[in-house]
Amino acid sequence: MRVGVIGVGCTKFGVLERTIQELAFEAVREAVEDAGISKNDIDISVVGTSNTRGYELMPAVPVNEYCGFAGKGPIRVEAACATGSAAFYTAYSSIVSGMADIAIAIGVEKMTEVNTPTSLAVGGRSGSYLWEFHQYGTTFPGYYAMHASAHMAEFGTKPEQLAMVAVKNHRNAAKNPKAHFPKEITLEKAVSSRYVAYPLKLFDCCPISDGASAAVLASEEKIKELGKEAVWVEGIGFSSDTANVAKRGSYTGLKATVEASRMAYKMAGIEDPLKSFDLACLHDCFTIAEIMAYEDLGFCKKGEGGKFVEEGRSDFGGDIPCNTFGGLKAKGHPLGATGLAMVYEAVKQLREEAGELQVELKNYKALTHNIGGTGHFGWVFVLGL
Amino acid sequence: MFIEGRELVFKHNIPVTKVEKYWKGLEEGKIYGTVCKSCGAKYSPPQADCSECYSSDMDWVEITGEGVVEAMMEQYTFPAGFEFLKEPYVVAVARFGDFRVVGWAREKVWVGDRVVAETDKDETGVWKVYFKKV
Repeated sequence: MRVGVIGVGCTKFGVLERTIQELAFEAVREAVEDAGISKNDIDISVVGTSNTRGYELMPAVPVNEYCGFAGKGPIRVEAACATGSAAFYTAYSSIVSGMADIAIAIGVEKMTEVNTPTSLAVGGRSGSYLWEFHQYGTTFPGYYAMHASAHMAEFGTKPEQLAMVAVKNHRNAAKNPKAHFPKEITLEKAVSSRYVAYPLKLFDCCPISDGASAAVLASEEKIKELGKEAVWVEGIGFSSDTANVAKRGSYTGLKATVEASRMAYKMAGIEDPLKSFDLACLHDCFTIAEIMAYEDLGFCKKGEGGKFVEEGRSDFGGDIPCNTFGGLKAKGHPLGATGLAMVYEAVKQLREEAGELQVELKNYKALTHNIGGTGHFGWVFVLGL
Repeated sequence: MFIEGRELVFKHNIPVTKVEKYWKGLEEGKIYGTVCKSCGAKYSPPQADCSECYSSDMDWVEITGEGVVEAMMEQYTFPAGFEFLKEPYVVAVARFGDFRVVGWAREKVWVGDRVVAETDKDETGVWKVYFKKV
């Protein structure tokens, strides 16, 4: 059975003075209005939130109530930074199973209700607490810094190449009013910024953002009945890796990305990923993550990710524009919202509703790549017209 | 406008009974991994049950000798719980034969450096592995 996305919504990302339910409401209302249906037409709601920082510890029900879905779900989903994609998959599965005709996936995260040291200590628990954070104070930037060290040592990837990811994504975010940081930065500013976790600097890191996004999905039959246009889910892939950093195969890439993309490409019939998509939304929580993603998704060979960005191949006008709305790096990364914000970006682009940030459509296909933790979860979607 | 929430402190009691040998070992300067007697799977950090063959019959083996750093980072912004540190700290993952070990490095290390491991406790009394360059 084919499943399509008929409505999307996304809040501005940033430090937002809203409760988790108020924030979710904004994205849900936009998505339902975009779908052109009544919220009462929705059979089930999926609430994706990591919510390890917000005050509302069990937020799915308050979110569901506030959005007017009491009695329809909610299914709460958590997959760290890939929570939004897991929510999307859950909504998709509820339709494929025949249990629902129309489902909504809601992704929401309140990251700024605690201070930065607390946020770092929470993110640092994304591996295996007892063996890592408890003993060594590992942090989320720290884990990706380890990957950066291995990539730089093995392939000679340069700090300037990492910074080029940030410069590109900030340039895109500058034209996205929903971005946390809608402003350009210079390469010099990025390279000369202070270290957060060596070898990663401040401008190698995404901000700590609040935000919400949502997508309304429906079965092909229902879409025909409603007479709607849809962006179709053509491929879905998922994978995961060990919790413990010491038990990983390699530090120069993320196996979860490789495996998830293989699965999604197979389902969607993708043979040459570099030539198949008009855009890609990549999980650039840190600049090194986008560089590894180019390689692990098959856009270039392992070790050539630094050169890929340096040559402008991931920019507008390049082989495959990546993170056209600014990426996690500059648009922001509210954990639960991120995967669905990628779906929002892909849908807007495929419908040619991206304004100044519109890519040229040739294949009418987009890829989303959403990672939880440091490759602890991996999700890849192929969306198309 | 904001309202301050009521304080809630989590200080967990973590059960380490099944891997007690590891934690006692650190206090004796030893670092242990486990090897499954049934299928040979090797675990560092150690685990008492085999994720591969589901056996719970494990050998405890000491991890010794020289290791090679495979990844590192130096943390400049301190997370809650590590405010006692005064300087950025270096965390590395080093390979010792079949086992990988995570540790704090006494000095800055880089990928490919050869290290030896020792154990010590930090200012908060938590035992751990420390690497020294060879």
